[in-house]
Amino acid sequence: MSAGLVASGVRRMFPAGGGVESADLAMRPGEIVALVGLNGAGKTTLMRLLLGMLRAESGRVELDGVPLERLPGSTWAAVGHLVDAPLVYPELTTRTALELNARLRGAGRGVVEAALQDFGLTEYAGRRIRALSLGNRQRVGLAAALQHRPQVIVLDEPTNGLDPAGVIALREQLLARRDDGAAVLVSSHHLDEVARTADRIVVLNAGRLIGELAPHSAGLESMFFEMLLRDDEVRA
Amino acid sequence: MRPALWGESLKLAASLVGRVATVAVVVGIVVLSSAMLVAARSGNTQVVAKLGPDGTPDWHGFLAAATQITAAGGLAGFAIVLAWMFGREFADGAVNGLFALPVSRRTIAAAKLLTFAAWGALVSAALPVVLGATGVALGLGTPGATELAGLARLTVLGLAGVVLATPVAWAATLGRSVLAGVGVGIGLIVVAQVSVLAGAGGWMPLAAPALWAMTAGRGATLGQVLLVLPFGAIWVALTLGAWRRLQVR
Repeated sequence: MSAGLVASGVRRMFPAGGGVESADLAMRPGEIVALVGLNGAGKTTLMRLLLGMLRAESGRVELDGVPLERLPGSTWAAVGHLVDAPLVYPELTTRTALELNARLRGAGRGVVEAALQDFGLTEYAGRRIRALSLGNRQRVGLAAALQHRPQVIVLDEPTNGLDPAGVIALREQLLARRDDGAAVLVSSHHLDEVARTADRIVVLNAGRLIGELAPHSAGLESMFFEMLLRDDEVRA
Repeated sequence: MRPALWGESLKLAASLVGRVATVAVVVGIVVLSSAMLVAARSGNTQVVAKLGPDGTPDWHGFLAAATQITAAGGLAGFAIVLAWMFGREFADGAVNGLFALPVSRRTIAAAKLLTFAAWGALVSAALPVVLGATGVALGLGTPGATELAGLARLTVLGLAGVVLATPVAWAATLGRSVLAGVGVGIGLIVVAQVSVLAGAGGWMPLAAPALWAMTAGRGATLGQVLLVLPFGAIWVALTLGAWRRLQVR
């Protein structure tokens, strides 16, 4: 079983402003962690640091106890992610796009049919990506990130563009992956959706992780804003 | 490497850019060369004067036109395809998906270059075949040894264009856009033309293949043409290095 993905004191600030000032975050097997924060708080930057898309100025990120810079390439086969835009190309069909993602992640093409079913994409299997709606394109991206049964999952705003049926399909997939022992990190603006799936909610404000919220507590939204307000007052 | 090669060849074969560029380079050069031949046959003294001493209504004039057009047009076609192959993922955000994979980004970049080279080789091999058939169909007669040698030089010129376009891959990567690559491609063509006019001759890798092909080897030696290989190797190494160090901003 995976030891998860762990960030220790990672920092990456941008000259034009924004970034991650300092973050310690552990994604453990069998746990869904929700990352919440306002726009520009640094959620996507933190996810990029966790996935090696950005190099940290200081601190370190380890996958299964190995620093990313020393990680054997094959280890990434256990990771599934969707950050910003999916790895799908408009000229390919849905099925071919999923097959490409499966091959690049070292999985056989056998996973594709199950992924098409899981995300309600069977009727669009032969359709080119450019002809899909935004929501269905997002479904393809999620299917591509999850079809190879990764043990570490990182999804940035995965409900973007999804209809209610898509949100439910994603929720079922994440809970199933969590129950199979995967470590899951999901960023979201939707606190109500987060409350349904997350085991922990961590709050990011202006590049720093400032605390955690209990997913099932009443008044989650007001607690979230109070936490941000307190942090802003401390910094001021 | 195999998954990346499979993906890159699939994308190029399915794309409008790949299809249009293939037709533009092969059919475009043949159509333009044929138009030159028709103009030379017209007997219009003003048109013939514009075509210059090589504007004869025979195989020589036909191949001279094709060689000149291939030198610039072929390189432009190759540059556009390479710029698209290396810049597209930055434009649509798919570059994020190329991280955290068992296949390294350096391998993906190498697969892009190999796919491009294979496509360029196919186009370069197809061009003289289609051109030769068109020449016969236009009544130029069966090509002799001289004409066959001229057609073979077109393939070499095309292959050289594939190698000379490699700075485009590096530029599209650093500029993170297709346009950055296309801009450098235009720059390569301009530098090649200016260096010929400035008399740099065969020692300028960007100009040597065209000089060699247009003068049947008198303007540049085959050894000078082969200088395109170290030229290309430098840009390939720079491109692979850039993809290895890549970050998403």
